[in-house]
Amino acid sequence: MGEILQYTWGAIVSFVLAFFVGITYMGLSRIVTARVQNRIGPPWYQNFFDVFKLFSKDTSIHHGIMHHMGPAFMMVTAVMSLLIIPIFNGGSFFTNLNFHGDLIFLIYIMVFGPLGMALGAGQTGNPNSAIGVTRGLSQIVGFEIPWVMALVALMIQYKTTSIVDLMNIQAETGKWLMFTSPFAFIAAVLAMLGMFRYAPFDIVGAPQELASGPMSENGGKYLFVMMSSGAVFAFAKLTLYVDIFMGGANNLIILVVKTFILYMIPVLYGIVSPRYRTEQSVRFFWGWPTLFGLLAILQAAFL
Amino acid sequence: MNMIFILFAVLLGGALLTFFSNKVSGLLRDIFFLLTVLAAGVFFYLFIKKGDTVSFSLAGLNLQWGLNAFGWYFSLIVLGLSTLAAFYALAYMRGKERLGYFYFNFLVSILSMLGILMSRDLVSFFVFWEIMTWSSYFIVIYNGKNVQRNGINYIIFSTIGAYAMLTAIVLVYTNTDSLIISDMITSYPQFTPVLQIFVPILFLMAFSVKAAMMPLHVWAPDAYSNSPMAYSSVFSGALSKMGIYGMIIVFVTMISYLPDSTWFKEIFAWLGAITAIMGTLWAVSQDDARKLLAYSSIAQLGYIITGVAIGTELAMLSALFLAVLHGLFKGALFMAVGAIERQTGTVNFTEVTGLIRKMPWTFIASLLAIIALAGIPPLGGFVGKWMLYESLINSNHYILVIAIFFASTAAFLYCYKFLFGFFLGQEEKEWEHVKEAPALMVVPMMILAIGTVVLGTFPGIILKPADIAMQSLGYAPTEGHLWSMSVLFNEWGDQVLLKPLVYAIAGIFLFFLILLTVKGWKTMRYVTTKDISSSGEVPLEDENLTFSINFFQPFMRAAGPVMKKRMITYYREFGKAIDILFDFTRRIYNGNGQTYAIYVMIFLVILLLLKNNLFG
Repeated sequence: MGEILQYTWGAIVSFVLAFFVGITYMGLSRIVTARVQNRIGPPWYQNFFDVFKLFSKDTSIHHGIMHHMGPAFMMVTAVMSLLIIPIFNGGSFFTNLNFHGDLIFLIYIMVFGPLGMALGAGQTGNPNSAIGVTRGLSQIVGFEIPWVMALVALMIQYKTTSIVDLMNIQAETGKWLMFTSPFAFIAAVLAMLGMFRYAPFDIVGAPQELASGPMSENGGKYLFVMMSSGAVFAFAKLTLYVDIFMGGANNLIILVVKTFILYMIPVLYGIVSPRYRTEQSVRFFWGWPTLFGLLAILQAAFL
Repeated sequence: MNMIFILFAVLLGGALLTFFSNKVSGLLRDIFFLLTVLAAGVFFYLFIKKGDTVSFSLAGLNLQWGLNAFGWYFSLIVLGLSTLAAFYALAYMRGKERLGYFYFNFLVSILSMLGILMSRDLVSFFVFWEIMTWSSYFIVIYNGKNVQRNGINYIIFSTIGAYAMLTAIVLVYTNTDSLIISDMITSYPQFTPVLQIFVPILFLMAFSVKAAMMPLHVWAPDAYSNSPMAYSSVFSGALSKMGIYGMIIVFVTMISYLPDSTWFKEIFAWLGAITAIMGTLWAVSQDDARKLLAYSSIAQLGYIITGVAIGTELAMLSALFLAVLHGLFKGALFMAVGAIERQTGTVNFTEVTGLIRKMPWTFIASLLAIIALAGIPPLGGFVGKWMLYESLINSNHYILVIAIFFASTAAFLYCYKFLFGFFLGQEEKEWEHVKEAPALMVVPMMILAIGTVVLGTFPGIILKPADIAMQSLGYAPTEGHLWSMSVLFNEWGDQVLLKPLVYAIAGIFLFFLILLTVKGWKTMRYVTTKDISSSGEVPLEDENLTFSINFFQPFMRAAGPVMKKRMITYYREFGKAIDILFDFTRRIYNGNGQTYAIYVMIFLVILLLLKNNLFG
C-alpha cells in the first residue's frame, strides 16, 4: 500500500513539474518566434492562461466514445514516458517506474498516445482530422527509423537497453554520449525535429490547410487534456535526450538549461523553414538522418 | 486400440458424418460438425499424453505417430483456433451453399494439421501435408470466384513445395534406409556435405510455401482473402503455422549441425525481414480488408521466420510466442471482417464506414486485436515484439533489427486504416440499418481478443509451454533468466516488469477518463458526425465527407520506389518464357505425319553420313 502511495505521489509531483516546465517552454517558444519575426509576442505565461481557460470552459458535445477517450490515450503516453524516464541523475528524485521498463518499451509507449488520439480524431468524422492523422502516421514511420537507429547504436555500444544504465555510464566516465557517439546524437536530433512537429514537419496539423488536423473538433476539456499532455510529453522527450546524450542533470536548474537548449533546436529550425509535404518529410528522414543512424550503428559495432 | 488412432477416427468419422448428414438436415450437420470439433479437442487434451507413440507398418513401411511437447505447443494454436472458428462458422456460413463440402474440408484440415504435429515419420508427414494442402485448396475454391487465379496459384506453389519435400524424403531414405524423423536427425551429421545443404533447403522450400515467405508467398493474398472468413482465420492463424513448425525442426535439428551455418541463417533471417517489410507495404496500399489482412499475415509470418532463423533462445521464444499471438489476433481480425461482410455485404474500406456505433462488440474485438498486432503495450503483441528486438540486438543483428522495426512501425498505418475504414469516420445513411453480428460470431472473436490482453500482462501462460517445447528440441530451460510469469529479461539482464507497467497505464488512463467524463457530465450530449465544422461550414445530411480513397497516398508516394516490381510479375515472365519454350517444342512435334517422316529421313541420313565415324 505504501508503495502504491509513493508511486502515486511521485507521479503527481513529476507531472506537475513537467506541466509547468512544458507550458513555460511553449510560451517562451512563442516569444522567440515573435522576436525572429520582428514582433513582440505574448508574455511567457500566456500559455498558462490559454490552458486554464480551456479547462474552465464547458464542453457540451462529443462525437462518441473513442472521441471521448482519445485525449486520455494521449495522456497515458505523456505520463508513462515521464515515469519511465529518470528526471534527475542518481535517483535523487522519485524513481517512479525507471527500473521497470527499458528503451524498447519506451519507444512503443511513445506511439501509444498518438495512435489512440488518432482513433479519437477518426471518430469525429471530420475529414481534416483523418487527413491529418494519415500524414502524422506517415511522418512517424519517417522519423522513427533514425531515432531507433540512434538508440540501437547506443544499446549495442554500451551493451544495455536501460536508460538508467546509460546515465550511469556517463556519470562514471564523465563523458557525455553526444561526444562519444556523435553520429547517434545527430541522427536523434534530426529525428527530434519530426517528433516536435515544428516546421518544416508541421503538415500534420497545419492550421492553414487542415484546420489544425487531428485537433479539430476538439475544444474545452478535450483540448485542455491534449495541450497539457503535449507539454508533459515534450518535457519527457527533452529529458530523455538530456539523460541519454547529455549526461543527465543533477538539479532542476541544470535540467532546465539543458532541455531548453535542446528545445530551441526544433523551434529555431522551424522558424526559418517552410513546410514540407508529407512525402518530402518522410523522404527527408529516410535520407540524411538514416545515413547518420547507419554511421552510428557502424561506429558502435566496429569501433 | 491406441488413443491416437481413435482421435483420427473421431475426426475422420465426424467429417464423413457431417458430410452425409447434410443430405438429411442442416441442424444435424451443424451438430455433428460442432460435436466433432469439440470431441477432438477434449479427446486430444484428456487422453493423449506427451510422449505417447505408436508404431505400425503399412505397405512395408515402418511408420510412427506420436506426440511430443513441441507438437503439443502447436496443437494449442490448431485446436484452440479451430474450435472458436467452428462456432463462428456456424453463424457465418448460415444460408450458404454446399455446407457439407465446406465443413467436411474444415474438419479434414484440422485432422491433417494434428496429423502433421503427430507424425514421427516422413511418409505420414508428407501424406498429412498433402491432405492439408488439398483440404485447404478445396475451401479456397469454395466460393467459385476466380478459381483459375486463386486456386491455381495456391495449388501450383503447394505442389512445388510438395515435390521439394518428396525429393528430400527420397534423398533421406536412400541414405539412411529409414523414414523415422529422429533417425534422419541422428544420421544427418554423417550425410555428405552436398546432401547436408540440399536436404534442409528442399524441406525449407516446402515449409516456406506454407509460411508464405518471400518469394514463395504469391499465392497467399488471393487464397487467404477468397476463403470464407471462418476458414481464413484458421488458414492464416493455424495452417500457416505448420510451415513454421517444420521450419523450426529443420533449423534446430539440421541447420545447426552444418559446420558453417551462420550464412544460411542470415539469409533466412533477411528473407523473413524482407517478407515483413514488403508484406507491410502492400498491406498499407490495400482497400480490401481481406487483402489487407492477408498481406499483414505474410508480414507477421516474416517476423516469426526471422526469429526462427536467428535461433537464439530469446529469438526462438519470441517466434513461438508470436506464433500463438498471431493466431489470436489474426483469427479475431478475420472473424471481424467476416462479421462486417455478413452484416453489410462489403469489405471495402472505400464503401463501408462509421460502423462503431452499430457494431460495438466487433469494434472492441478488432481494436484489441489491432493493438496486439501493432505491438503496442500493454497487450500481448508487445511481449513478442520486445523479445524479437532484444534477441536481434543481443545477437548482433543491428541492421536486421532496423528492418524489422521499420516493418512494425509501418504496420501502424494499416492498423489505423483497418479501424478507421470500417468503424470510424462519417456515419453515412447508407449503413444506418446495420446491426451487430450474432452472438455466435462475436463471442469467439472477443475470446481471442481477450486472450491477447491476458497475454500482455501474463505472457508466462504461453511462455511456459513454449519453454517446455523448446526443451524438447534441446534448448536449455529459459524460465527465470529470460522470462517469468510477468517479467521479461534480455540476455544482458535488462528487464521489463509488465505488471506494474500495465497497472500504471490502466491507472493513468482511468484517471484522465474519469476527469474527462465527470467534468461537465450533465451538459454533455452526443452529436452525429454530420454536426461538424469543415471549411467553415456544417455539412448537409447527404453530403459524403468520408475520407477513404487513396488513404495513405503521401506515404505510398514516399515508399513507391520499392513497390514498383511485384514478385508475381517475375513469375508471370517466367511463365511466359516457359510458354515460348513449349511453343517451340510444338513446332517440332506438330502432329503432322509428313513432318515426322522427314525427321526419320533426316535421322537416317545423318546416321549414314556419320556411319564411318560412329561405327567404323
